[in-house]
Amino acid sequence: MRFAKQVTVAAPRQVVWDLLWDIARLTLCVPGCQSAEMIDPYARYRATIQEKVGPFRLTVPLDIDIAEHNAPQRLIARASGRDRLLQSHVKVELALTLLEVDPQSTALQVETDVAVLGKLGTLGHSVIIRKGEDIVDQFATALQAELQKEKG
Amino acid sequence: MLQPFALEEPTSVREASALLARYGEAARLYAGGTELLLAMKEGLLHYDRLINIKTIAGLADITRDADALRIGATATHRTLERSPEVHTHFTAFTRLEAHVANVRVRGTGTIGGNLCFAEPHADPGTLLQVYDARVKLARQGSTRTLAIEAFFVGAFEVALAEDELLTEIQIPYLPAHTAAAYRKFGLLERPSVGVAVAVTALPSGVQAVRIAVGCVGPTPRRIYEAETMLSGKEIAAVRAGLPEAGELAGRAADAVSDLHGSADYKAYLVGVLLRRAFEDAYQQAMAGEATDG
Amino acid sequence: MAEQHTASRQTILIRLTVNEHGHEVAVEPHETLIELIRDHLGLTGTKKSCDMQVCGACTVLLDGRPVSSCTLLAFEARNASLLTIEGMAQGGTLHPIQEAFIACSGFQCGFCTPGMILTAKALLDEHPQPTIEEIKHYMRGNLCRCTGYKRILESVQTAAQRLASAGGAR
Repeated sequence: MRFAKQVTVAAPRQVVWDLLWDIARLTLCVPGCQSAEMIDPYARYRATIQEKVGPFRLTVPLDIDIAEHNAPQRLIARASGRDRLLQSHVKVELALTLLEVDPQSTALQVETDVAVLGKLGTLGHSVIIRKGEDIVDQFATALQAELQKEKG
Repeated sequence: MLQPFALEEPTSVREASALLARYGEAARLYAGGTELLLAMKEGLLHYDRLINIKTIAGLADITRDADALRIGATATHRTLERSPEVHTHFTAFTRLEAHVANVRVRGTGTIGGNLCFAEPHADPGTLLQVYDARVKLARQGSTRTLAIEAFFVGAFEVALAEDELLTEIQIPYLPAHTAAAYRKFGLLERPSVGVAVAVTALPSGVQAVRIAVGCVGPTPRRIYEAETMLSGKEIAAVRAGLPEAGELAGRAADAVSDLHGSADYKAYLVGVLLRRAFEDAYQQAMAGEATDG
Repeated sequence: MAEQHTASRQTILIRLTVNEHGHEVAVEPHETLIELIRDHLGLTGTKKSCDMQVCGACTVLLDGRPVSSCTLLAFEARNASLLTIEGMAQGGTLHPIQEAFIACSGFQCGFCTPGMILTAKALLDEHPQPTIEEIKHYMRGNLCRCTGYKRILESVQTAAQRLASAGGAR
C-alpha cells in the first residue's frame, strides 16, 4: 500500500536534512514510535512502533536499513518487523525527498510503501490503509511543526 | 483454540457495569460472541475475563413505546427477523436482519454486539442511521441516550465509557408517507457496500430524503449533502438528480481500495445502490403506508 | 450452573442432552462446543473446517437452531438439547433427509454433509414446504466445494416431499 504526502517547511533544506538524522527529535515526529536507537550511523537503526485501532494493538520492533542517502536531497529506508502476538509481518519502504523551494523553505515529500502480512493484513486491510494514511499525514505535519519550533 | 479466560455472569446491568469498572481493559462484555470470539480465536484480541450479559433478564426484550420501538441489546438478529413488532413498523429492518451473515450467526449474534463491535463491514448501523435511531447506554446508577450517529466513533470503536453497556436501541416510528430501504452488495462473507435510504413522499413531491452509506468507510455515515440535493423536489427532478447525488455520496463515503474492491468501484456501487434503494423506498412511501420495504 | 474456581482455572459443570442422551460435563469457559462434541463426547461426525463460522461444516442443532459449534462456547449448551449428525438416524433407520441425500447423490467427499443435513433439518422443521429460494437463503451459509450445490438442493427438496408424505417432520 502506497501513501504519499507533501508539505512545505519554512526552513533551509540542510536544516531539514539534519533533522532527519537527529534520532531523538525525529522519533517524536513518528506517530506511535516508542523508542529508537542508532546501531550504525547512517546505516542501521532500530525502533518500536505501537499502533492502536479500536481494541486492536500492534507492537512492531522494526529493523531499519538506510538503503540510500544522498545529502541533502533523498533518503530511502527499508524497515521490517514482526508483531509476535498478531503473527503479522510489517514491511515499510520509505522515501524522503527534499526539494529546495527557496533558500528559506523546503518541500518535503514523504512516500511510503507498506505491506502488512499475516492475520492483521487479511482481517484489517482497510483499517491499515486508513491508519497508514493517518500516520504519514501526522509524520509530515509533525516534522513541519518541529522545524517551525526550531526557527523560533 | 481460545486462550483461557474467566467467565462472569452478572444478573443486572449495574453488576455488569461494576465488573467493567473493576477489570478495565482486561475484561470485555460478551453476548453472542460472533465477532468477539472470532477475533479472540485469531489471537488478535485477548481478555482475561468475559462478562456474559445474556444472563441479564430483560435485555433482549422488544417493547412498543408511544413514539418508538425499543429493542433490547441482546436480541438476536433472528429474533429481530421474526419479530412482528419490527415487521409492522420497520419492514426494511426485518429484511436487513434476515440477510445478516448466515442463519447460524443470525441465531446467535445480537444487535447490540453488532453495533458495539463496530466492524465496518456490517449492515444494521447503516439503516439505523436513516431511522434516526438512538442508543441507550447505562453504567452504574445512570443512563444516557445518544443518537446512533454519535455512537460510531471509528472502525471497531464506539462511544462507550469503560464501564458502560449498550442496553437498548430506540427507533422512532416513521412519520406518515415515509418508507425506508436498504441495499447491499458483497461477494465475501461480509458486505462490501451498503446504502440505506428513507423517503417521505406525497403525490406533490419528495419532501425529505435521508441517506446513509455503510461498509465503505470506517463507520456508517449519513450523507447530508446528497440529502439536501434530493429533498423538497418533484419526483422527476429527484430522479434526474440521483446520478449526481450518487456520485456525491460515493465521494463522501470515503472509500479505500482494499480486498473488497477499489475505491472507485465502491463509489460507483454506492451510486447504483442509492438509486435502487431510493426507488424502493419511494414506491413504498407512495403506496401510502407509514411502514417501509 | 455449578462453578468452581480451581487454583488456576474455572470450570463449569453443565448438563445437556446430546442425541437424546443426558450428559453431565465439566467444561472450561473458553472451550468451544465442537471441542465438547468431538473431544469430550467422542462424536466425530461434526467436522471442524474453516473454524471461523463461515462454512457451516460444524453445524449442530441447539434446541433446534443451527449453530457453528466451532465458535459457540461449550457452556452455552447447558440445559439444552443438542442434535449432531449421529442423532439423525433412529436405531438402524436413516432419517428421511439422510435417505434423500443418498437418493439424490447430495454429497461427494462428505465433509460438508453433516452440516448440510442438520441445517436442512432445522429448515424443514420450521418450514416444511420451502420454495427453492427459501432453501437457498436458509442454506446460504453452508459451503460445499465438491458438488456445485445442485444435488444438495434437490436432496432438500426431495426430503421435504418425503417428509410431507410420511406425515410431517420427525
